[in-house]
Amino acid sequence: MSKGEIVAGYLAPHPPHLVYGENPPQNEARSKGGWEQLRWAYERARVTLEELKPDVLLVHSPHWITEQGHHFLGVEKLSGKSVDPIFPNLFRYRFDLNVDVELAEACCAEASALGLDAKMMRNPKFRVDYGTITTLHMMRPQWDIPVVGISANNSPYYLKMEEGLEEMDRLGKATRKAIEKTGRRAVLLASNTLCHYHFREEPAIPEDMTQEHPETYEGYLWDMRMIELLRKGEVDEVFRLLPQFIEESFAEIKSGAFTWMFAAMGYPKIPGELHGYGTVIGTGNAVMEWNLVKAGLAQPYQAEVA
Amino acid sequence: MAIVSAFLVPASPLPYVQRDNPPWGRLADGMDAAGVALAKSNPDTIVIYSTGWFAVLDQLWQMRPHLQGVHVDHNWHEYGDLPFDITIDTELTQAAIDGANETGIKSKGVDYDQFPIDTGTIVASNFLNADNRLPLLNTSNNLYHDWALTEQLGNVVAKQAVKLGRKIAVVAVGGLSGSFYRQSINIADDRISSEQDDAWNRKMLALIEAGDSVAMLAQCPDYAKQAKVDMGFKHMAFIKGALGDQLSGGKVHAYEPVYGAGAGVIEFSV
Repeated sequence: MSKGEIVAGYLAPHPPHLVYGENPPQNEARSKGGWEQLRWAYERARVTLEELKPDVLLVHSPHWITEQGHHFLGVEKLSGKSVDPIFPNLFRYRFDLNVDVELAEACCAEASALGLDAKMMRNPKFRVDYGTITTLHMMRPQWDIPVVGISANNSPYYLKMEEGLEEMDRLGKATRKAIEKTGRRAVLLASNTLCHYHFREEPAIPEDMTQEHPETYEGYLWDMRMIELLRKGEVDEVFRLLPQFIEESFAEIKSGAFTWMFAAMGYPKIPGELHGYGTVIGTGNAVMEWNLVKAGLAQPYQAEVA
Repeated sequence: MAIVSAFLVPASPLPYVQRDNPPWGRLADGMDAAGVALAKSNPDTIVIYSTGWFAVLDQLWQMRPHLQGVHVDHNWHEYGDLPFDITIDTELTQAAIDGANETGIKSKGVDYDQFPIDTGTIVASNFLNADNRLPLLNTSNNLYHDWALTEQLGNVVAKQAVKLGRKIAVVAVGGLSGSFYRQSINIADDRISSEQDDAWNRKMLALIEAGDSVAMLAQCPDYAKQAKVDMGFKHMAFIKGALGDQLSGGKVHAYEPVYGAGAGVIEFSV
């Protein structure tokens, strides 16, 4: 088996409003659109994802919160209806996904080897969280690529933030080892919003974009600062500022997906491509890509010769 | 006074899905005893405020007349399923929604097929109303509501129950000290994860059993902070709001660990 590798990482936030705005057949709620700039950003990401031809998508979601360790979906087929408890009016989505259980088990084993508490989720009746579903739909609505779903252990909230993010760093390194050992061509999806200050009331018409704006000016400034650093590839500075960014903008980055993804990729000092930025009920959301193939850090897709 | 009984019970599924583990079994026994006491109080409706049902915008209230299904807890999935069969008292719930809105607590009902019912609500319902004999009023924990607002919610529900002539059992669902073991343990050896947490839990439970609600309530802010109590002990605020000046003391049916965190089954005197 050839050595696997990570070919790209995406910052791929999960506001359910984006699915609602798109009106896919899987979602019961119907809209007149909304959040077009962010949905077009995802359209650009979908194109590059298609070019990469990954074997698997790994997603770390803040809405699968676990207290005991880091959990991995471990059932080959999971299906059901995901209803967002905060926005049930917008998101009631029939999902049907395939899990790369072998890779998930490898990630779990590598995480344990690095001293993390790690578990497999084996219950076939488990309802996958809406964060995972939204990110996967927005990146790959065809649902034709197997996935690995990873929980967000609440260590950055329960322990000191730095201790919790150190665990996410180890989780990322474990993920990379598992990918290499299993020979997978993998894309990582960090399902995180940036500044997470948000409206306390929903507009009467959710998709009325005249009501959409950043919730705080300070949060918006922070988002722009971090995005600009990422666009320039100043990754060390990003991670130096990360604790302050999280503290001052209530960034959802705190839940760990962003750190996990960068740790797995080896903190590449390459410019990130911004596909687009927009707010959703005031929160800041960026769709960004770190394409390791284009950066010469991973191999381009080679079609198998029969 | 519409309230015929009041309880504070744990949100953890562990006593329900694995009661053969002795510490969790003792909690399950405590829940069974609470269920007997609840039935004996003969309420028309069971009011459930659950710390596990998060809301961030409006205060949410369950308005689907009947909910049925199987839930798997996000963290404790390895221990088993949580089937549920719940009927909602939509008249009382709508009255509570209207009453909350009138007091300035923006509220709305949710009525959606397969809306995710939280673990705590299901566990409380399964233990205390196993045959689905009584309808529920089920409301959420808005993460931005403080103690005072949560107390106001309990008060709103109690007042609306009086207006409608409903006898209600009030059940606040949430844990005590909140320091779970972060690593896997031998569950038979489960215990409260720190001596300090255990001391705090016992102190508060002793004040409840002594009937000293004034002292107990005065300790709540320090208790919540130092013992990292589940959701800042807001579920106690709901009880206080519902019972008002009637809050005195109660009986502790069980006090045990759930994976290091504290859990208590408390029946308040009404």
